[in-house]
Amino acid sequence: MANQTVGHKALDLIRRTYSIFVVLAAWEIVSHSGWVSPRLTPGIEKIAVEFWGLVTSGDLLFHGRITLQRAFIGFGLAIFGGIALGTLMARIRWFDILFEPLFSFGYPVPKISLYPVFIFVFGFGDLSKIMLIFLECLYPITVHTYYGMKSAERVLVWASRNMGANSQQLFWRVLVPSAAPTIFSGLRIAVPVALIVTIITEIIGESKGLGYIVSFSAAQFEYGRSLAAMFSIGVVGFVIDRLLIALRKHIIFWQKDSMPIV
Amino acid sequence: MPVRLIGLIPPLALVIIWELCGQYHMLPRYLVPPSLIVSTTWRMLLSGELIGHIGASMFRIAMGFLIGSICGTAAGLISGSVRPVERFYEPLISLTYPVPKTAALPIIFAWFGLGDAAKIVAITLSIFYPCYIAAYYGAKSVAGIHIWSARNMGATRLQIFFRIVLPSALPQIFNGLRIAIGLSFIVMVTSELIAAQKGLGYLVGAAEDNMRFDIMWVAVVTIGIIGFCADRILLMIRSRVLMGQLLGKDQAHG
Amino acid sequence: MSEILDAATAIQLSPALVVKSLVKTFSRQGRAVQALDDFNLTVHEGEFVAIVGPSGCGKSTFLHMLGGFEPSNGGTIELDAKPITGPGPDRGMLFQDYALYPWRTVYGNIIWPLEVQHVPKAERAAIVERFMSLVGLTHFRDHYPAELSGGMKQRVALARVLAFDPKILLMDEPFGALDAQNRELMQEELSRIWDRTRKTVIFVTHDIDEAIYLADRVIVFTARPGRIKQDVKIELPRPRGPDIRKSPEYTQYRNLIWDLLREEVMRAREEYN
Repeated sequence: MANQTVGHKALDLIRRTYSIFVVLAAWEIVSHSGWVSPRLTPGIEKIAVEFWGLVTSGDLLFHGRITLQRAFIGFGLAIFGGIALGTLMARIRWFDILFEPLFSFGYPVPKISLYPVFIFVFGFGDLSKIMLIFLECLYPITVHTYYGMKSAERVLVWASRNMGANSQQLFWRVLVPSAAPTIFSGLRIAVPVALIVTIITEIIGESKGLGYIVSFSAAQFEYGRSLAAMFSIGVVGFVIDRLLIALRKHIIFWQKDSMPIV
Repeated sequence: MPVRLIGLIPPLALVIIWELCGQYHMLPRYLVPPSLIVSTTWRMLLSGELIGHIGASMFRIAMGFLIGSICGTAAGLISGSVRPVERFYEPLISLTYPVPKTAALPIIFAWFGLGDAAKIVAITLSIFYPCYIAAYYGAKSVAGIHIWSARNMGATRLQIFFRIVLPSALPQIFNGLRIAIGLSFIVMVTSELIAAQKGLGYLVGAAEDNMRFDIMWVAVVTIGIIGFCADRILLMIRSRVLMGQLLGKDQAHG
Repeated sequence: MSEILDAATAIQLSPALVVKSLVKTFSRQGRAVQALDDFNLTVHEGEFVAIVGPSGCGKSTFLHMLGGFEPSNGGTIELDAKPITGPGPDRGMLFQDYALYPWRTVYGNIIWPLEVQHVPKAERAAIVERFMSLVGLTHFRDHYPAELSGGMKQRVALARVLAFDPKILLMDEPFGALDAQNRELMQEELSRIWDRTRKTVIFVTHDIDEAIYLADRVIVFTARPGRIKQDVKIELPRPRGPDIRKSPEYTQYRNLIWDLLREEVMRAREEYN
């Protein structure tokens, strides 16, 4: 009996993950087949060795910390700024009138092309990158906060006003919790944006950070190391995403289904 | 609504202050007054130079967007309605989705060269994911009762896919496309900043290197305008296509 | 004996709610729609008044105006001789879709109005316990609304509204989302609870049986613009058990109100077509 359930579980695990191994095997075969340059497409074992090299040399820790620091500072500033702005726009009429067009018109404008300008304004170092991350993340967070606050269910607001809730109670106890799921979708959109922008700025012009290792190694034809650094960026992205999902489950416990971000 | 026009005051005020500061030479060199940006734009339009860069960028975006959105949406729809396909895709997607795809740019350049192909591949790869995920959840959330009633009327599997699953997933698919359009501009600008001979992103970088800040601003503004227009065109198509499904619902962001 | 009777009639006859020549117009797609026109109503303290009418006759709008959520376009509403200007805890509102806060438990939902009104902390728990047991939900205190059935949700909402002790209860088709059996059970439960609390109630419904079973007076609305077509006194004995639905008087009331309503529904239909 016990054997059977273990067997079932193993089979289930294989069924749920086999495609990963299929893709990895395909990579191995292509890499060793001689159809492509093994330098350009190194085997997984080579990438693993390079990855281990990055770990033991301390490079991964050094550059990873810099990348994460930039991403988190920019993202953190955007959380504060975005939630504050979105809330003010949703609650105060003249704020809404003044800023809503700025956000609805500015939302689809690609802000990445401002990076060269940012370099002149904020210098070559961390600040220009952090400001660009902040600007890119500010938009989804602000817009989601705004809509979350605006679209609180009418009956929930009515019921509280019916009980005599003042505007402060209404805000903290009704509007904030009912906007929380929407705000969270905004955060979940902003997290990958923060990482993307961080990596991009490090690829374009920098001498530190994981994005720099990727581009620098590639420029030196060390594609194995480049791929290893890419892999570590992937791990970071994956872990952050899972953390965010766990956090959401914890904070917004009353909504069982966690919808995708799109 | 005239009240809404008040919202135009802050950006207009900014432009005016910017221009005035420029007239009195109070601006740092990299901030070019708006009047100069406009006149440079006009000159570059007349000489055809700007059109060439716009064409190069638009070609890459259009190709990448077309391939990526069609592949991503098709894969997502099939994965959302056929179990074995779902079992294949799901672990791969959920593992690689949160990975910032821009990190692959240097490798993509190494594999596909410095020409158009690499840029199109980079855009395709980046937008495959949002399109896939949107279409997948769209297909998954089709109301069971719609499928039952279609089966009850004797619809075939293909009919159910094209007449029930696809239209019900459309609102989600458009959400994915909207994210994809924004992403494709980011990837386009970045890849052209890294390596290109032509294109708006290249123009930003090259002008900056040559300290021609007026040209840099022309490129920045042009990218902004095109990105904005692309988004609005998508929204227009969306409201046309989804006429019935959007009735009575709040319009999405924007 | 007569003293008691006098006291009772005195309470019965003091008007709690006075509505005078109330007007309400909407603009729908640029067209002005008259929802209420010169509407008058007096409700006495401790009375249970049900309002029925064809759909779209403005009965829900009227209730929202009593709640202070929607402004009027003329006329006055007075509760205990004070005009109503906005929402307030003197009128407890029960919504059709419950309006429970999904992030709060049963206990948390019922205690919320007490927190809002700064009821001393020491008293809150006792009040919540009393009303939780009144609606029979003591064992579900730590459940979230998503874990409850529709009938249970509405019982939580009822306990919540009773907990802050409003002068008058406004109910907007509170059992409209329930299935037939749960609906009857909830009606019996509400009748039992009302017998114990004797609050003034305005109850909007489209269900004639519900209106007759619960109310002292059934007000039949005309089709738009809403006016009172007839004010039917229901003189069935209280407390009313489930058997009262089988009595001949009940059937008479049912036929009378159904005939009145049918006229209005037919008239509304002709107007729209």
